[in-house]
Amino acid sequence: MIRYLLPALALALFFLEPVFGLFSPLQLDGVYYYIVPRFLLMYLIFVTVYYDAKRAMIYGLFFGLLYDVFFIDIIGLYSFLYPLMCLIASYIVKSVQRNLVVATLLTLVLTALFEFMLYLFFSAISLAALPAEAFFISRLLPTMIANSVFLVMLGWAFKLIIDARLIERENSKA
Amino acid sequence: MSRFLSNKRLILLLLGVILLVALISYSLRDRDNVNFAERLIKDTVGAGQSLFSGPAHFVTGIFDNVDSLLNTYKENQHLKGRLEEFATVQAEVTDLRSENEQLKEIVGKEADLRDYNPVQATVIARNPDQWEEKIILNRGSSDGVEPDMAVMTAKGLIGKVSLVTKTTSTVELISTQNPNYRVSAMVLGGAEGVFGLIEGYDAERRELLLKRIDAQIELEVGQQVVSSGLGGIFPKGLIIGEITEVTIDEFGLTKLAYVKPSADFTLLNHVMIADRAMPDGDEAEAVEEEGS
Repeated sequence: MIRYLLPALALALFFLEPVFGLFSPLQLDGVYYYIVPRFLLMYLIFVTVYYDAKRAMIYGLFFGLLYDVFFIDIIGLYSFLYPLMCLIASYIVKSVQRNLVVATLLTLVLTALFEFMLYLFFSAISLAALPAEAFFISRLLPTMIANSVFLVMLGWAFKLIIDARLIERENSKA
Repeated sequence: MSRFLSNKRLILLLLGVILLVALISYSLRDRDNVNFAERLIKDTVGAGQSLFSGPAHFVTGIFDNVDSLLNTYKENQHLKGRLEEFATVQAEVTDLRSENEQLKEIVGKEADLRDYNPVQATVIARNPDQWEEKIILNRGSSDGVEPDMAVMTAKGLIGKVSLVTKTTSTVELISTQNPNYRVSAMVLGGAEGVFGLIEGYDAERRELLLKRIDAQIELEVGQQVVSSGLGGIFPKGLIIGEITEVTIDEFGLTKLAYVKPSADFTLLNHVMIADRAMPDGDEAEAVEEEGS
Protein backbone atom coordinates (compact mmCIF):
# COMPACT_ATOMS: atom_id res chain seq x y z
CA MET A 1 0.00 0.00 0.00
CA ILE A 2 2.85 2.36 0.87
CA ARG A 3 3.94 1.87 -2.72
CA TYR A 4 1.19 4.23 -3.85
CA LEU A 5 1.67 6.64 -1.00
CA LEU A 6 4.67 8.37 -2.58
CA PRO A 7 2.93 9.50 -5.78
CA ALA A 8 -0.31 10.14 -3.88
CA LEU A 9 1.48 12.54 -1.54
CA ALA A 10 3.06 14.29 -4.53
CA LEU A 11 -0.40 14.68 -6.07
CA ALA A 12 -1.86 16.06 -2.84
CA LEU A 13 0.99 18.58 -2.52
CA PHE A 14 0.52 19.59 -6.16
CA PHE A 15 -3.12 20.42 -5.46
CA LEU A 16 -2.35 22.12 -2.14
CA GLU A 17 0.12 24.61 -3.62
CA PRO A 18 -2.43 26.82 -5.41
CA VAL A 19 -4.74 26.64 -2.40
CA PHE A 20 -2.03 28.23 -0.27
CA GLY A 21 -1.28 30.51 -3.20
CA LEU A 22 -4.73 32.05 -2.71
CA PHE A 23 -3.53 33.67 0.53
CA SER A 24 -0.73 35.54 -1.17
CA PRO A 25 0.25 38.37 -1.51
CA LEU A 26 0.38 39.38 2.13
CA GLN A 27 0.15 43.05 2.91
CA LEU A 28 2.12 44.39 5.86
CA ASP A 29 2.43 48.13 6.41
CA GLY A 30 1.48 48.84 2.83
CA VAL A 31 4.20 46.57 1.45
CA TYR A 32 3.18 43.45 -0.40
CA TYR A 33 5.01 40.20 0.20
CA TYR A 34 4.61 37.32 -2.21
CA ILE A 35 4.73 33.87 -0.75
CA VAL A 36 5.09 31.08 -3.24
CA PRO A 37 4.45 27.59 -1.88
CA ARG A 38 7.00 25.10 -3.18
CA PHE A 39 5.80 21.99 -1.37
CA LEU A 40 6.09 19.67 -4.35
CA LEU A 41 9.64 20.73 -5.23
CA MET A 42 10.80 20.21 -1.64
CA TYR A 43 9.13 16.81 -1.52
CA LEU A 44 10.74 15.79 -4.82
CA ILE A 45 14.19 16.73 -3.49
CA PHE A 46 13.53 14.66 -0.38
CA VAL A 47 12.57 11.72 -2.59
CA THR A 48 15.83 12.24 -4.50
CA VAL A 49 17.91 12.31 -1.35
CA TYR A 50 16.33 9.39 0.47
CA TYR A 51 14.79 7.21 -2.18
CA ASP A 52 15.58 7.27 -5.87
CA ALA A 53 16.75 10.13 -8.08
CA LYS A 54 15.35 8.58 -11.25
CA ARG A 55 11.92 8.13 -9.73
CA ALA A 56 11.96 11.71 -8.44
CA MET A 57 12.85 13.01 -11.89
CA ILE A 58 9.97 11.11 -13.48
CA TYR A 59 7.56 12.57 -10.93
CA GLY A 60 9.11 15.98 -11.54
CA LEU A 61 8.59 15.67 -15.28
CA PHE A 62 4.98 14.56 -14.87
CA PHE A 63 3.91 17.17 -12.33
CA GLY A 64 5.99 19.84 -14.03
CA LEU A 65 4.04 19.19 -17.21
CA LEU A 66 0.72 19.45 -15.37
CA TYR A 67 1.89 22.68 -13.77
CA ASP A 68 2.98 24.13 -17.10
CA VAL A 69 -0.25 23.33 -18.86
CA PHE A 70 -2.66 24.21 -16.08
CA PHE A 71 -1.12 27.33 -14.63
CA ILE A 72 1.40 29.10 -16.77
CA ASP A 73 0.69 28.00 -20.35
CA ILE A 74 4.39 27.87 -21.13
CA ILE A 75 5.12 24.22 -21.71
CA GLY A 76 8.58 23.04 -20.78
CA LEU A 77 9.43 25.41 -17.97
CA TYR A 78 8.56 23.52 -14.81
CA SER A 79 8.80 20.15 -16.56
CA PHE A 80 12.44 20.99 -17.16
CA LEU A 81 13.28 22.76 -13.90
CA TYR A 82 11.79 20.14 -11.55
CA PRO A 83 13.89 17.25 -12.92
CA LEU A 84 16.92 19.55 -13.15
CA MET A 85 16.69 20.35 -9.44
CA CYS A 86 16.40 16.63 -8.67
CA LEU A 87 19.46 15.95 -10.83
CA ILE A 88 21.52 18.59 -9.03
CA ALA A 89 20.36 17.22 -5.68
CA SER A 90 21.37 13.68 -6.66
CA TYR A 91 24.89 14.86 -7.54
CA ILE A 92 25.33 16.85 -4.36
CA VAL A 93 23.96 14.14 -2.11
CA LYS A 94 26.65 11.71 -3.25
CA SER A 95 29.34 13.77 -1.56
CA VAL A 96 27.59 14.76 1.68
CA GLN A 97 26.25 12.98 4.68
CA ARG A 98 22.61 11.99 4.50
CA ASN A 99 20.80 13.28 7.52
CA LEU A 100 17.71 15.35 8.04
CA VAL A 101 19.52 18.65 8.68
CA VAL A 102 21.65 18.33 5.56
CA ALA A 103 18.62 17.31 3.50
CA THR A 104 16.62 20.29 4.76
CA LEU A 105 19.43 22.74 4.05
CA LEU A 106 20.03 21.28 0.61
CA THR A 107 16.33 21.49 -0.19
CA LEU A 108 16.11 25.12 0.87
CA VAL A 109 19.18 26.10 -1.14
CA LEU A 110 17.77 24.40 -4.22
CA THR A 111 14.36 26.01 -3.72
CA ALA A 112 16.01 29.42 -3.63
CA LEU A 113 17.96 28.54 -6.76
CA PHE A 114 14.71 27.43 -8.41
CA GLU A 115 13.01 30.72 -7.56
CA PHE A 116 15.95 32.67 -8.88
CA MET A 117 16.00 30.75 -12.17
CA LEU A 118 12.28 31.43 -12.62
CA TYR A 119 12.92 35.11 -11.94
CA LEU A 120 15.60 35.16 -14.61
CA PHE A 121 13.33 33.37 -17.07
CA PHE A 122 10.34 35.65 -16.57
CA SER A 123 12.57 38.72 -16.74
CA ALA A 124 14.00 37.37 -20.00
CA ILE A 125 10.59 37.02 -21.61
CA SER A 126 9.68 40.39 -20.03
CA LEU A 127 6.61 39.21 -18.18
CA ALA A 128 8.14 40.52 -14.97
CA ALA A 129 9.71 43.92 -14.60
CA LEU A 130 11.17 43.69 -11.16
CA PRO A 131 14.58 44.93 -10.05
CA ALA A 132 16.71 42.24 -8.41
CA GLU A 133 16.66 44.01 -5.06
CA ALA A 134 12.85 44.13 -4.99
CA PHE A 135 12.77 40.48 -5.98
CA PHE A 136 14.90 39.50 -2.99
CA ILE A 137 12.87 41.50 -0.50
CA SER A 138 9.31 41.09 -1.71
CA ARG A 139 9.51 37.57 -3.09
CA LEU A 140 12.52 35.43 -2.29
CA LEU A 141 12.78 36.28 1.39
CA PRO A 142 9.13 35.71 2.41
CA THR A 143 8.92 32.66 0.18
CA MET A 144 11.99 31.10 1.76
CA ILE A 145 10.80 31.88 5.28
CA ALA A 146 7.38 30.32 4.69
CA ASN A 147 8.79 27.30 2.93
CA SER A 148 11.42 26.65 5.57
CA VAL A 149 8.72 26.75 8.24
CA PHE A 150 6.76 24.21 6.22
CA LEU A 151 9.80 22.00 5.68
CA VAL A 152 10.94 22.08 9.31
CA MET A 153 7.43 21.08 10.33
CA LEU A 154 6.90 18.35 7.77
CA GLY A 155 10.37 17.28 6.61
CA TRP A 156 10.49 14.45 9.13
CA ALA A 157 7.09 13.22 7.90
CA PHE A 158 8.40 13.08 4.33
CA LYS A 159 11.35 11.08 5.57
CA LEU A 160 9.11 8.77 7.57
CA ILE A 161 6.98 7.91 4.56
CA ILE A 162 9.97 7.43 2.27
CA ASP A 163 11.66 5.21 4.87
CA ALA A 164 8.49 3.13 5.17
CA ARG A 165 8.51 2.67 1.42
CA LEU A 166 12.20 1.68 1.48
CA ILE A 167 11.52 -0.96 4.11
CA GLU A 168 8.61 -2.28 2.10
CA ARG A 169 10.79 -2.52 -0.99
CA GLU A 170 13.49 -4.42 0.91
CA ASN A 171 10.89 -6.84 2.24
CA SER A 172 9.41 -7.52 -1.15
CA LYS A 173 12.88 -8.25 -2.52
CA ALA A 174 13.73 -10.69 0.20
CA MET B 1 33.98 12.56 -31.24
CA SER B 2 33.13 8.91 -30.69
CA ARG B 3 33.80 9.32 -26.99
CA PHE B 4 31.55 12.31 -26.93
CA LEU B 5 28.78 10.38 -28.65
CA SER B 6 29.13 7.46 -26.31
CA ASN B 7 28.29 9.68 -23.39
CA LYS B 8 24.62 8.84 -23.39
CA ARG B 9 23.72 11.14 -20.58
CA LEU B 10 25.18 14.21 -22.25
CA ILE B 11 23.31 13.49 -25.47
CA LEU B 12 20.08 13.04 -23.56
CA LEU B 13 20.65 16.33 -21.79
CA LEU B 14 21.34 18.14 -25.06
CA LEU B 15 18.25 16.65 -26.67
CA GLY B 16 16.26 17.65 -23.63
CA VAL B 17 17.45 21.26 -23.84
CA ILE B 18 16.63 21.43 -27.56
CA LEU B 19 13.17 20.00 -26.94
CA LEU B 20 12.66 22.44 -24.10
CA VAL B 21 13.57 25.48 -26.15
CA ALA B 22 11.32 24.28 -28.98
CA LEU B 23 8.39 23.72 -26.63
CA ILE B 24 8.80 27.04 -24.85
CA SER B 25 8.99 29.00 -28.07
CA TYR B 26 6.01 27.08 -29.42
CA SER B 27 3.85 27.83 -26.40
CA LEU B 28 4.98 31.46 -26.15
CA ARG B 29 4.10 32.09 -29.77
CA ASP B 30 0.66 30.54 -29.81
CA ARG B 31 -0.88 31.33 -26.46
CA ASP B 32 -4.46 32.02 -27.41
CA ASN B 33 -5.26 28.56 -28.63
CA VAL B 34 -5.04 25.46 -26.55
CA ASN B 35 -4.78 22.11 -28.28
CA PHE B 36 -6.74 19.01 -27.39
CA ALA B 37 -4.17 17.49 -25.02
CA GLU B 38 -3.82 20.74 -23.09
CA ARG B 39 -7.56 21.08 -22.84
CA LEU B 40 -7.83 17.55 -21.48
CA ILE B 41 -5.16 18.19 -18.85
CA LYS B 42 -6.73 21.50 -17.87
CA ASP B 43 -10.16 19.96 -17.38
CA THR B 44 -8.83 17.00 -15.39
CA VAL B 45 -6.58 19.05 -13.14
CA GLY B 46 -9.36 21.60 -12.74
CA ALA B 47 -11.74 18.93 -11.48
CA GLY B 48 -9.16 17.73 -8.96
CA GLN B 49 -8.34 21.27 -7.94
CA SER B 50 -12.01 22.02 -7.19
CA LEU B 51 -11.97 19.26 -4.56
CA PHE B 52 -9.15 21.02 -2.74
CA SER B 53 -10.25 24.62 -3.14
CA GLY B 54 -13.74 24.02 -1.70
CA PRO B 55 -12.58 23.43 1.89
CA ALA B 56 -10.01 26.22 1.53
CA HIS B 57 -12.72 28.73 0.68
CA PHE B 58 -14.71 27.51 3.64
CA VAL B 59 -11.79 28.23 5.98
CA THR B 60 -11.03 31.65 4.50
CA GLY B 61 -14.76 32.38 4.74
CA ILE B 62 -14.63 31.82 8.49
CA PHE B 63 -11.63 34.16 8.83
CA ASP B 64 -13.42 36.77 6.75
CA ASN B 65 -16.48 36.50 8.96
CA VAL B 66 -14.47 36.95 12.14
CA ASP B 67 -12.67 39.88 10.58
CA SER B 68 -15.88 41.63 9.59
CA LEU B 69 -17.35 40.94 13.01
CA LEU B 70 -14.46 42.81 14.61
CA ASN B 71 -15.01 45.78 12.34
CA THR B 72 -18.75 45.91 12.89
CA TYR B 73 -18.86 49.00 15.10
CA LYS B 74 -16.68 51.15 12.88
CA GLU B 75 -18.53 50.05 9.78
CA ASN B 76 -21.87 50.69 11.35
CA GLN B 77 -20.90 54.26 12.21
CA HIS B 78 -19.74 54.85 8.69
CA LEU B 79 -22.85 53.31 7.14
CA LYS B 80 -25.19 55.34 9.34
CA GLY B 81 -23.54 58.46 7.97
CA ARG B 82 -24.18 57.36 4.42
CA LEU B 83 -27.74 56.20 4.99
CA GLU B 84 -29.49 59.50 4.43
CA GLU B 85 -27.51 60.16 1.31
CA PHE B 86 -28.42 56.68 0.11
CA ALA B 87 -32.17 57.28 0.23
CA THR B 88 -31.99 60.30 -2.06
CA VAL B 89 -29.61 58.58 -4.46
CA GLN B 90 -31.89 55.54 -4.55
CA ALA B 91 -34.90 57.68 -5.44
CA GLU B 92 -32.93 59.41 -8.14
CA VAL B 93 -31.73 56.12 -9.60
CA THR B 94 -35.24 54.68 -9.88
CA ASP B 95 -36.43 57.87 -11.47
CA LEU B 96 -33.58 57.94 -13.98
CA ARG B 97 -33.95 54.26 -14.76
CA SER B 98 -37.62 54.53 -15.61
CA GLU B 99 -36.98 57.65 -17.63
CA ASN B 100 -34.18 55.89 -19.50
CA GLU B 101 -36.45 52.99 -20.34
CA GLN B 102 -39.18 55.27 -21.59
CA LEU B 103 -36.73 57.16 -23.76
CA LYS B 104 -35.37 53.92 -25.13
CA GLU B 105 -38.87 52.83 -26.01
CA ILE B 106 -39.51 56.08 -27.83
CA VAL B 107 -36.30 55.75 -29.84
CA GLY B 108 -36.94 52.06 -30.41
CA LYS B 109 -33.55 50.98 -29.17
CA GLU B 110 -33.49 47.47 -27.79
CA ALA B 111 -29.97 46.22 -27.35
CA ASP B 112 -27.63 48.11 -25.10
CA LEU B 113 -23.91 47.80 -24.56
CA ARG B 114 -24.59 47.87 -20.86
CA ASP B 115 -26.72 44.73 -20.66
CA TYR B 116 -25.01 41.50 -19.71
CA ASN B 117 -25.84 38.14 -18.22
CA PRO B 118 -23.66 37.43 -15.24
CA VAL B 119 -22.15 33.94 -14.97
CA GLN B 120 -21.28 33.20 -11.36
CA ALA B 121 -17.97 31.42 -10.93
CA THR B 122 -15.70 30.27 -8.14
CA VAL B 123 -11.94 30.71 -8.17
CA ILE B 124 -10.45 27.22 -7.97
CA ALA B 125 -6.81 28.20 -8.12
CA ARG B 126 -4.47 31.10 -8.38
CA ASN B 127 -1.27 30.63 -10.26
CA PRO B 128 0.90 29.72 -7.26
CA ASP B 129 4.14 31.12 -8.61
CA GLN B 130 2.45 34.51 -9.10
CA TRP B 131 4.71 35.71 -11.84
CA GLU B 132 1.77 36.09 -14.09
CA GLU B 133 -1.40 37.39 -12.53
CA LYS B 134 -3.75 34.57 -13.38
CA ILE B 135 -6.65 32.85 -11.71
CA ILE B 136 -8.56 29.78 -12.80
CA LEU B 137 -12.35 29.58 -12.57
CA ASN B 138 -14.67 26.61 -12.46
CA ARG B 139 -16.77 27.71 -15.44
CA GLY B 140 -15.92 27.04 -19.06
CA SER B 141 -17.26 26.95 -22.57
CA SER B 142 -20.09 24.63 -21.51
CA ASP B 143 -21.42 27.51 -19.38
CA GLY B 144 -21.16 29.98 -22.23
CA VAL B 145 -17.82 31.52 -21.28
CA GLU B 146 -15.78 32.85 -24.18
CA PRO B 147 -12.29 34.33 -24.42
CA ASP B 148 -11.97 38.08 -23.70
CA MET B 149 -15.09 38.26 -21.54
CA ALA B 150 -14.93 40.65 -18.62
CA VAL B 151 -14.50 39.22 -15.12
CA MET B 152 -15.42 41.20 -12.04
CA THR B 153 -16.24 41.12 -8.37
CA ALA B 154 -18.94 43.16 -6.70
CA LYS B 155 -16.39 45.97 -6.30
CA GLY B 156 -15.34 46.21 -9.92
CA LEU B 157 -13.50 44.81 -12.88
CA ILE B 158 -10.66 42.42 -12.13
CA GLY B 159 -9.64 40.98 -15.49
CA LYS B 160 -10.61 39.20 -18.63
CA VAL B 161 -10.84 35.59 -19.72
CA SER B 162 -7.73 34.53 -21.61
CA LEU B 163 -8.26 30.81 -22.19
CA VAL B 164 -11.35 28.64 -22.07
CA THR B 165 -11.71 24.89 -21.87
CA LYS B 166 -14.88 22.90 -21.40
CA THR B 167 -15.11 23.27 -17.63
CA THR B 168 -12.44 25.80 -16.67
CA SER B 169 -11.40 29.24 -17.75
CA THR B 170 -8.18 31.11 -17.14
CA VAL B 171 -8.48 34.76 -16.24
CA GLU B 172 -5.65 37.22 -16.70
CA LEU B 173 -6.01 39.85 -14.01
CA ILE B 174 -5.94 43.51 -14.94
CA SER B 175 -2.83 43.93 -12.78
CA THR B 176 -0.74 41.95 -15.27
CA GLN B 177 2.54 43.16 -16.74
CA ASN B 178 1.58 41.74 -20.13
CA PRO B 179 2.18 44.58 -22.63
CA ASN B 180 -0.56 43.32 -24.96
CA TYR B 181 -3.26 43.62 -22.34
CA ARG B 182 -5.65 46.49 -23.02
CA VAL B 183 -9.07 47.47 -21.80
CA SER B 184 -11.01 50.19 -23.50
CA ALA B 185 -12.12 52.58 -20.77
CA MET B 186 -14.01 55.79 -20.21
CA VAL B 187 -13.84 58.52 -17.57
CA LEU B 188 -17.19 59.52 -16.13
CA GLY B 189 -18.10 63.12 -15.44
CA GLY B 190 -18.41 66.08 -17.72
CA ALA B 191 -20.85 66.30 -20.60
CA GLU B 192 -19.37 63.45 -22.60
CA GLY B 193 -17.37 60.45 -21.60
CA VAL B 194 -13.62 60.74 -22.04
CA PHE B 195 -12.19 57.67 -23.75
CA GLY B 196 -8.84 56.07 -23.10
CA LEU B 197 -7.14 52.72 -22.81
CA ILE B 198 -6.18 50.94 -19.64
CA GLU B 199 -2.72 49.83 -20.63
CA GLY B 200 -0.20 48.61 -18.14
CA TYR B 201 0.10 48.44 -14.40
CA ASP B 202 2.44 50.25 -12.08
CA ALA B 203 3.47 47.50 -9.69
CA GLU B 204 5.04 49.86 -7.17
CA ARG B 205 2.04 52.18 -6.87
CA ARG B 206 -0.33 49.26 -7.47
CA GLU B 207 -2.30 51.41 -9.86
CA LEU B 208 -3.45 51.03 -13.44
CA LEU B 209 -2.33 53.34 -16.23
CA LEU B 210 -5.03 55.00 -18.32
CA LYS B 211 -3.34 56.11 -21.53
CA ARG B 212 -4.18 57.83 -24.81
CA ILE B 213 -6.42 60.52 -23.42
CA ASP B 214 -6.73 63.63 -25.54
CA ALA B 215 -4.35 66.28 -24.18
CA GLN B 216 -7.03 69.00 -24.47
CA ILE B 217 -9.30 67.32 -21.96
CA GLU B 218 -9.16 68.31 -18.34
CA LEU B 219 -9.31 65.47 -15.89
CA GLU B 220 -9.70 65.65 -12.17
CA VAL B 221 -8.46 63.47 -9.38
CA GLY B 222 -11.30 61.37 -8.00
CA GLN B 223 -13.20 60.89 -11.24
CA GLN B 224 -14.46 57.38 -11.84
CA VAL B 225 -13.19 55.19 -14.66
CA VAL B 226 -15.48 52.54 -16.17
CA SER B 227 -15.25 50.19 -19.14
CA SER B 228 -16.47 51.84 -22.33
CA GLY B 229 -18.00 48.79 -23.99
CA LEU B 230 -16.14 49.54 -27.20
CA GLY B 231 -13.45 46.94 -26.62
CA GLY B 232 -14.87 43.80 -28.20
CA ILE B 233 -17.21 41.99 -25.86
CA PHE B 234 -16.89 43.95 -22.64
CA PRO B 235 -20.16 45.43 -21.45
CA LYS B 236 -20.29 49.16 -20.88
CA GLY B 237 -20.13 50.71 -17.44
CA LEU B 238 -18.19 48.17 -15.35
CA ILE B 239 -16.38 50.07 -12.65
CA ILE B 240 -12.61 49.94 -12.96
CA GLY B 241 -11.40 52.52 -10.47
CA GLU B 242 -10.74 56.10 -9.57
CA ILE B 243 -8.21 58.59 -10.93
CA THR B 244 -5.48 59.44 -8.42
CA GLU B 245 -3.06 61.45 -10.55
CA VAL B 246 -3.01 62.98 -14.01
CA THR B 247 0.24 63.53 -15.91
CA ILE B 248 1.50 63.78 -19.47
CA ASP B 249 2.71 60.55 -21.06
CA GLU B 250 6.32 59.92 -22.06
CA PHE B 251 5.92 61.41 -25.55
CA GLY B 252 4.11 64.50 -24.33
CA LEU B 253 1.29 64.07 -26.82
CA THR B 254 -1.48 62.53 -24.76
CA LYS B 255 -2.41 62.46 -21.12
CA LEU B 256 -1.83 59.62 -18.75
CA ALA B 257 -3.84 59.02 -15.60
CA TYR B 258 -3.11 56.74 -12.70
CA VAL B 259 -6.20 54.77 -11.76
CA LYS B 260 -6.57 53.10 -8.41
CA PRO B 261 -8.51 49.86 -9.02
CA SER B 262 -11.69 49.63 -6.99
CA ALA B 263 -11.55 45.84 -6.82
CA ASP B 264 -9.22 44.01 -4.50
CA PHE B 265 -7.04 41.41 -6.22
CA THR B 266 -6.05 39.49 -3.13
CA LEU B 267 -8.08 36.65 -1.65
CA LEU B 268 -10.40 36.36 -4.63
CA ASN B 269 -13.17 33.91 -4.02
CA HIS B 270 -16.38 34.35 -6.00
CA VAL B 271 -16.37 36.31 -9.22
CA MET B 272 -18.75 37.11 -12.04
CA ILE B 273 -18.13 36.66 -15.74
CA ALA B 274 -20.01 39.23 -17.82
CA ASP B 275 -21.60 37.70 -20.90
CA ARG B 276 -22.67 40.74 -22.90
CA ALA B 277 -26.25 40.51 -24.12
CA MET B 278 -25.67 42.50 -27.28
CA PRO B 279 -24.07 40.36 -30.01
CA ASP B 280 -20.67 41.50 -31.09
CA GLY B 281 -20.40 42.16 -34.77
CA ASP B 282 -17.99 43.97 -37.01
CA GLU B 283 -17.30 46.55 -34.38
CA ALA B 284 -15.92 43.87 -32.08
CA GLU B 285 -13.54 42.62 -34.75
CA ALA B 286 -12.31 46.12 -35.40
CA VAL B 287 -11.40 46.58 -31.76
CA GLU B 288 -9.86 43.13 -31.50
CA GLU B 289 -7.32 44.20 -34.08
CA GLU B 290 -6.39 47.06 -31.89
CA GLY B 291 -6.09 44.70 -28.95
CA SER B 292 -3.81 42.16 -30.62
